Amino acid sequence: MTSSVRFSLRRILALTSNTLTDLTRQRVFYFALIFALLLIASSVFMARFSFQQEFQILKDVSLGAMSLVSSLLAVVATARLLPQDVEDRTVYTILAKPVPRFEYILGKLCGMLLLLALSILLMGFLFMAVLFLREQAVLSETARQMAAAPHQQLEAALRSVRQSAFNIDLLPAVATIYLKAALLAALTLFVSTFATTNLFTIVVMVFVYFIGHLQATAREYWLLNQGGGWIVQTFLALVALLFPDLQAFNLIDDAVAGTAIPLALFGKTMLLGLFYTTVYTLLGTVVFYGKEL
Amino acid sequence: MTEPAIAIRGLTKVFPAPFRRSSVVAVRDLSLSVGPGEVYGLLGPNGSGKSTTLKILLGLVSPTKGRTEILGNDSRQVKSRSVVGFLPENPYFYKYLTGQETLCFFGKLGGLGGRALSQRIDEMLALVRLESVRDRRLATYSKGMLQRIGLAQALIHDPRVVVLDEPTAGVDPVGSHDICDLILRLKERGVTILLSSHLLAQAQEICDRVGILSAGALVREGRLEELIAIENRTEVVLENASDALLQEITTAATRSNARLVEHRKSTTTLERLFLEAISEENKKRDPAAPPDEEEKI
Repeated sequence: MTSSVRFSLRRILALTSNTLTDLTRQRVFYFALIFALLLIASSVFMARFSFQQEFQILKDVSLGAMSLVSSLLAVVATARLLPQDVEDRTVYTILAKPVPRFEYILGKLCGMLLLLALSILLMGFLFMAVLFLREQAVLSETARQMAAAPHQQLEAALRSVRQSAFNIDLLPAVATIYLKAALLAALTLFVSTFATTNLFTIVVMVFVYFIGHLQATAREYWLLNQGGGWIVQTFLALVALLFPDLQAFNLIDDAVAGTAIPLALFGKTMLLGLFYTTVYTLLGTVVFYGKEL
Repeated sequence: MTEPAIAIRGLTKVFPAPFRRSSVVAVRDLSLSVGPGEVYGLLGPNGSGKSTTLKILLGLVSPTKGRTEILGNDSRQVKSRSVVGFLPENPYFYKYLTGQETLCFFGKLGGLGGRALSQRIDEMLALVRLESVRDRRLATYSKGMLQRIGLAQALIHDPRVVVLDEPTAGVDPVGSHDICDLILRLKERGVTILLSSHLLAQAQEICDRVGILSAGALVREGRLEELIAIENRTEVVLENASDALLQEITTAATRSNARLVEHRKSTTTLERLFLEAISEENKKRDPAAPPDEEEKI
C-alpha cells in the first residue's frame, strides 16, 4: 500500500495514548507489578546478613526482578497488540482513516515503550526507596552501636555503610534494563506482524530470549574453535541480528558489585539497543505493509 | 460526464489457500461505478465477495488484478482515505472509551484537532442521537447504539464517500430503522454511500442502484426501480372502493384483453407494524422521552 499522506505527530500521539490506556487495563501489567513489588519487599527481610551482604542482595534481587518483569511485560503485552486489533476489527476502522501503516506500528510501539518506562520508573523508585530506608536504618543502628567509639572510627563506619548502599552506577544498569525491554517489545511486535496466534509469538520470543542470553558465549566458543572465516562471520552476524545479544544489556552485576561502568561501554550498549529497536521496528513495518487484513 | 465517486475496474482477488491445490477466488473481474451523491447497494449472500471488495476499496487488502478509485485517487494510496468514512460489519471499538472519547480518538486520526474536533464531536453525537450517553463507556452501549457510534466515527472527518459493511447486521428493527434514516439524511447532504447488505428489504428502501454479487461476480446491476419493475404489470391501489366499483374494474379489464392477476386487501409490512407498535408504546409510557433512550439488556 503506497502512502502520500504527511507524517502526523497528532495521529501517532492519539495511537500512543490509546495503546497506553489499553495496556494499563491489562491484568498482566498489574500481575507483573505485584510480582516485582513482592520480590523487592522480600529482599527487605534479609536483614540477618551483614549490611554489605544485605545491600548487595537487595540490589541484586531488585535489579534482577526489574529486568525479568520488564522483559516479561514487553513480550506478553506486545504479543497481543496487533492480533487483538485485527480480531476486534478495530484495525479496520483505524486504517480506513488516513493513517499510514508505519504510523500505526509506531503508535503501538510508542504506547508500549511508554508503559515500560512507567513500570521501570515505578519499580526503580520503589527499589531506591527501599534501599534508602534500609540505609538509614543501618546508619542509625551503626551510630547507636558505636556511640562510644572515637569520632573518626564512627565516620569511617558510616561512610562504609553509605558506599555499600547507593552508587551512581545503578542508574545506567536501570537504563540498560529499559533498553533490553524496548528491543524485546520491538522484536515481539515484528514477530506478531506475521504470527498467526499470540501463543506462537510468545513461544518464539521465549526461544529468542534464551538464545539471546546464550549467543555471546556460543559465539566466542565458536570463533575460538572454528576460526573466523568470512562465512562463519556472516553466519554469526545473521544470528546476532535475529537473536539479539541480550547479555550485552546486563550491567547489573557490575552495578551490584559497585564496579564503575565506563561511559564508553554504557554509550555502546545504548547505541546497540537503539539499533536493534530501530531495525525490528522497520522490519515489522515492512511486513505489516504487505499484510492482508 | 462527472467523475464517479467510486470506480472499480476489472477487480479480481484470489486468496491463496495453503496446503490446497486450488486457491479461493473471492472477487472475479468486477467493474462498477458509483456516482456522486448516490446510494449504491452491493447485495449478495454470505461469501459472495462483498466485504472483500469493500476492503480492497479501503486499502486493507491488495487486489490481485484491477484497480479501485475513490474520487479519482487510487484507493491503495493513504490520501484516498481522507475523503472516505468506513463502518465495518459488527464493529468492536475500544470498550473502555466513552462515546465522546471514541469520536475524539477517530477524529484525531482523521486529522482534526482543537475546537474544530470538539465541535464536530458535538455535531456527530447529535446526528446519531447519542448526546445523552456521550460520557458512558462503550461497554454499556447496546448493539444499536454501538452501530450508531460507529457511523458517527465514520463521519467524524466529514467524508464525501461513506462505505458501510452490513450496517444493520444484528440490530433490532428500531435500531435498523434509525440507521436507514441516517443513511437517507446523509444522502440528502450529498454524501456518496456504498453499502453491502443481504437484507434486501432495507436495501430496497434506501438504495438508488444495486449490484448483485454471486461467487465474486456481478450478476445483475442497475437502478432499483428498473430491476424490480415487472414490465407488463400495473398496480392500482384504491381506498374506500365499493364491491360494485371493483366488479366494474374487473369487467373493464376483461373487455380490454387485460387479465386481473390478483385482487386482495392491502397489507402493511411486518416491520412497519412492529415499528408502529413500539413507537405507540413508548409514547404511552413517556410522551417526552426522546427515541434514543435505548438500554443495553
